[in-house]
Formats: sequence, C-alpha cells, structure tokens
Amino acid sequence: MSRNLVELIRRHHAVDAPTALEVLKEAVDDHGELTDDDRRRAAEVSGLPEAAVYGVSTFYDDLLAPRGERHVRVCTGTACFAAARETTIERVGEGLGLAPGERGADGSVSLAETVCLGFCHSSPAIRVGDTVDAGPGVAERAIAGETRAAAEPEWVSLLPEPVLVRRSGWSGLRRALGELGREGLLAEVEAAEVRGRGGAGFPAGAKWAFAAKAEGEQKFIVANGDEGDPGSYIDKYLMERNPELLLEGMALAGFAVGAAHGFVLCRSEYPASKPSLEIAAASARERGLLGDGILDTDFDFDVTIIEGAGSYVVGEETALLACVQGLRGTVSARPPFPAERGVYGMPTVVNNVETLSNIPFVATAGTDAYRALSPDTDTTGSKLVCFNERFARPSVYEVPFGMTVRELCEDVAGGLRDGAEIKAVQIGGPLGGILPASLLDTRFDFEPLAAVGCMVGHGSILAFDQATDMRDVARHLLRFGADESCGKCFPCRIGLRRAYEEFATDAAVDRARLEDLLEALELGSLCAHGGGIPAPLRSLLTHFPEELGLA
Amino acid sequence: MTKVTVDGVAVEVAPGATLLDAAKAAERWVPTVCFDERQAPFGACRVCLVGVSGAPKPLPACTTLCRDGMEIETEEPRARRVARAVVELVLSELPEPPAPRTELAQVAERLEVGEPRWGGATHAGEDDFRHPYLAFRHQLCISCGRCVRACDEVQGAFALTATGRGFEANVAAGLDAGFEDSTCVSCGACADTCPTDAITEMGLVRQSGRD
Repeated sequence: MSRNLVELIRRHHAVDAPTALEVLKEAVDDHGELTDDDRRRAAEVSGLPEAAVYGVSTFYDDLLAPRGERHVRVCTGTACFAAARETTIERVGEGLGLAPGERGADGSVSLAETVCLGFCHSSPAIRVGDTVDAGPGVAERAIAGETRAAAEPEWVSLLPEPVLVRRSGWSGLRRALGELGREGLLAEVEAAEVRGRGGAGFPAGAKWAFAAKAEGEQKFIVANGDEGDPGSYIDKYLMERNPELLLEGMALAGFAVGAAHGFVLCRSEYPASKPSLEIAAASARERGLLGDGILDTDFDFDVTIIEGAGSYVVGEETALLACVQGLRGTVSARPPFPAERGVYGMPTVVNNVETLSNIPFVATAGTDAYRALSPDTDTTGSKLVCFNERFARPSVYEVPFGMTVRELCEDVAGGLRDGAEIKAVQIGGPLGGILPASLLDTRFDFEPLAAVGCMVGHGSILAFDQATDMRDVARHLLRFGADESCGKCFPCRIGLRRAYEEFATDAAVDRARLEDLLEALELGSLCAHGGGIPAPLRSLLTHFPEELGLA
Repeated sequence: MTKVTVDGVAVEVAPGATLLDAAKAAERWVPTVCFDERQAPFGACRVCLVGVSGAPKPLPACTTLCRDGMEIETEEPRARRVARAVVELVLSELPEPPAPRTELAQVAERLEVGEPRWGGATHAGEDDFRHPYLAFRHQLCISCGRCVRACDEVQGAFALTATGRGFEANVAAGLDAGFEDSTCVSCGACADTCPTDAITEMGLVRQSGRD
C-alpha cells in the first residue's frame, strides 16, 4: 500500500472527506455507470490523484457493470453451482437477451454475475435491486420482473446456553470496564485462546497484544465482515441478526488495545448488513454504550460502517485495509503487519466478525467457561457452521468443536434432501479442501481437518451430491479463483488463469504440469487466495482423479 | 547488527535489513523482477524466494527481515523451482518474447527458462505512442508495479496507477488517456525502471523499427 496515498487519505479523513470509493459507489448508485467526470470529482473530494481513482474504478465489480433501472445480479457462488450448475445465469441471460455485464439498449434492465449473495440455504439466488430471491422458479421470476424476497431460515444453537446466537446484554463490556480493566481483559482473551474464525485461525489475543504494545497517536479496530467465501452466510447472520454482539466485541477490542474508533467493512452483496449495523450502532449510542464516556467511564469508542464494492480478496486483511481507505483492494506484503501499520498508517486490529462476536462471552464468563463450550476438544469456544441448499435443514447452527462432519451433516442438517447422497463436502470456503463421503467421520476441528487437507475456514459445509461431476467443480472453483485474483502477485495473477484454462475445455489436463503449477501457487502466492485455491484441487486429485480428465 | 549466513558465507547486516540485503552483502545472486532498490520492496513477483533454516517453506527475500542466526540458501531447490515456474508464467502472458536487453529477459536467461510450456491467453496488443518521448506498450506490462511506485515514491507525480485485476491487471496514466493527459512530468523514471519495456523511450521503439 502506498504510504504517500495513505497519508493523503489520512489528511482528508481528518476533515471528514469521503473516500474515493464512497464517491464512486454513490455515482454508480445515482446514474448506473461511471464517467470521467465522476472520477475527477472523486479525486477532488477524496484528495487522491486522478490516476489512483482510475485504478480504484477498474478494480471493484460494483463499479464495472453498467446498471439499468432493473439491475439483475445472478449468484454464481458454489452453493448455487451445487444446486443448478451454471443454468441460472444462462437461463436469465437468454430470457433477458443480455450477456452478463450488459445493459439493454433502452436502459430498463441489466445483467451481472455476483458471488455470493449468502442465500446458500435456498439456492439458486438472484438479486434485483436490493431484493434477494431464491429457490425454484427464481430465474423465471427475475425475467418476468416478479422477484420477491426469499425467507431466511432461523439460526439454531446446539449449546445448552447459546453464546453467539444470544443477544448482547453488554455485560462483557461492563465487566471489562469495571473489575477486569484493560490488562485483565487482554489477559483473559489471550488465555481463552480465541482463534480467528475467518479462515486463518490466528489467535486473536496475539494480535491484540501486538497492537496494544504498538506506538501510535491513534489506534483502530477493523471488523472484517467481508465474508466473501461462497457457501458461507455466518457473518451475514451475525451482522443482520445480532449486530450489537459484534459492536460490543469491537468496543472490547478497542478498550483492550487503546483504540477509540472502529470500522466494520461489510459486503455490498449483503444489502441488509450495513443498515442493520447502523441501526444497532445508533441505538447503542443512545444508551451510552458507544460514543464518548461509555458507561460513565473515560473510555471513548465509536464505529463507522463501510460497505465494500465487490471483491473476494478484500477479505484478506491488508486488502481489507486498502478498501476501508477507499483504495484498490489489493494485498500488501507483510511486514508491516496491520497491528503496526493499518488504517491511516496507525496500529490496527483486524478481526473477523465471528471472532469479535466471541469476545463478549469471554469478557463476561471468563476463560474456563469459554473452554467448556467445546468439551470434547482442546479447541476453545463454539463455532457457527452453515449448510447449503442440498441439505434437508440448511441454516446456521452454533455447535461445539469436535463433532464429526457426519454428525453435522446427518444429525444437525438432516442429510441431503429427497434422499440424495453426499458425494463430497467442501468445508470453510473455496480455499478449503474437499472431503469425500468416505471421510465424513473426520472431526470438525482445526487439526483433524488439516490432517485430511481441509480446514475449518469460515465454517461453511457445502455438499455436492452424487450427480456432481468433479471436473465441473474444479472448473467452477478455478474460474472463481482467476476472476477474483487481485492481480498483485504473479503466481496467482497468471497461475490461476492458466489453471482455469486447463479445465475450461474438454481437453485432457497434463497432471505433472498442473502439479508444478499448484506448487508454485502454494509456495509462491502472496496471500491465502493463490495459496489456498490449490487445496480443493489437491483433494480432487487425491479422491476423484478418474473424473478430472487427467493425462 | 544482525548476523546471518548466506550459502554458508557469514555476513552482518543492519537491523531491519532484508534477506535480499544479506544476499547482496554476501555477493550472492537472488533473481528479482518487481524489485528496484530505489523503491520500497513490493513482494509481487515472488521470484526472489530463498530457503531459510527452520522455515516450513521458501520466503521472499525482498520483504522478509533478517533475524540473528538465520541460514539463507539462495538456491534452495523448491525456491528455485517456484522462481522458474513463475518466470515461465510471466513469459507466457506476453504476446511476444521480451527484448533481450530487458531485465525480464536477462532473469529468464540466467534461470534457464526457455520457451514457456503454457498456451492460453496473452495480453492484447495496445501500443500508445501519443507522448513524444514515452512509449506505452500495455501488452508487455507484467504488473510489477515498478513504474507506479517510481512515479509515486521517487518522482511524487502520481501520474500512474495499477488497473483492473487478476490476469487483466495493467497500468494506466491519469484517467487512461495517456501520459500527456495526466500529471506526468516526463521524467522517465517509469521507463527507466520497467523490466519489460512496456514503458520505454520512443527513441528505442523507433530504433527497433516499431514506430
């Protein structure tokens, strides 16, 4: 990330100027596509050079596809793929007479692909305006202009006392500001071994301790709500159904490290998230739980809710920080780590939404109670998991770590609907390995999943049924990978394109050359995107080689 | 000072020095494509991977800091294999081989990377010869970011930006209307650092008969 641009942004932020990305997003919302006048205005208002604004305007999906009066976005995420392959986008394209990325000549309708709308429980899903429709007949309704809002299933906790599904009472913050104190809270979070729930599993306490020690005239907390992993709608539920728990977790993080401001970056693919968080923040302010002098102490903390603009890699923490500051969402090499140089070049804690939502319980009930949530394993805390539409009872469930994947799939989610059988499940997102049905007795926990080439990741459990062609799965995942590469590091930028090209036609795939490429991606990539996409490919090479058309 | 060894040669480097600094101090060659010593390390090309004792996988030499006692191996087999694979990928994205004088061609030659084994998409030809001195040949751009950083960190003109994403990533001046309609001051720092001649002097383009 350019230090000069970050300094320009810091100075403009100090006088409440919007970011370039905010100005560009507003322009697209207002008149459907960007003009050079919009870019010049964004440069003028935000303080970024015109060239930098141009770079931003060519990066994010939301700024690229022209919009008609009715903007139809068809989800091409992995759950929608598992449900209907690519038939939904094809059918809607034919029905509207448009290719993805096109707007009709009269400007009345436009079509775009989007990944992913988080309606994986009811795939296939289509968004028209801010209304998300899903399920059988969705394509026909979108074509006919009869889109209706789909229902979302209730979430369920399997714990004796729900932790993440219960409402925030702000008791954690009260205890932290009272008896625990700053040092006590930090010690509690470190001892609780809260591992990051966004994919990497990094201990939150270690990030906090680093940021608490870092020198900076200001510090910031950033909640990573960019849950881009197709198949996952866990953070969506947390942000839309339980936003105060997240805000309490952020305030706790702020108190522990000495930050007075936080940002939530939520996804534009979840149009309900930002309004939900803003309402919750306003309510918390009114009750003296955010703002200056929280709960009559000298602790000040407030939040700003920011919406992204369509980019998977923005979920990576350095890219997320770039997006928060309105820059291109590309990855930066670490060091410096965000805890040292983050928002406006200041020490910053970046934690996933679910990770932060765990903190109020730790602050309220303490380390021992947090450990006891998963009695059958050393892993601490509970986990939200979610299931795709292939299952009989897809939803978000709060579970202890240590159950088997089979128990989760069969007992919790009811097995597949209509008596179908699981061929394989992809766990944790597109960078997670694929577990064949023969290994469903693997425990859902960090180490046991890693031992079979999989990961907890974001906690999504996405089933492919017996009718699925695994070469199609490889092609689907590689297309996603190539489309979403930020373009910064060479192995990912070029390598994912080449890997996708290998599977894009019916030609045989040269296995040796593919494995060389996977090694270059795994060892060479700058972030977990290029480094992680090989994981499901390795699973497919191990468990389904005969389906891949290898030579 | 921090003490490390590079291919068995002991060197002392200043605190904050990178593995690449240590390799230079030990007079050992580490291939690089996106690195320019006048600019902050960028970590994009991943060609500078080296082996480090105790590390589970090769590390990028340009962005990894030295720690006391590190044993650095510049020709660690996996690191070198990945470096070659990446340079091969880079050659495969270009519609024509890079000119022999370019840094990319020289790195490829020294790593003994020949004709790439990959077919597939290459960058579409887009010559922009509107500026009197600076030729902009987008199809040769490998998104190393050196020109953008030269304009930002060295010249402070901010005339250039990275554009697009993934395989379609490239660079543009101003609002992509060429150097003349941007804040470019014609300093030539971008052409000077470009490792592929995607930005180069018009005079060199004329000499090679491309005008």
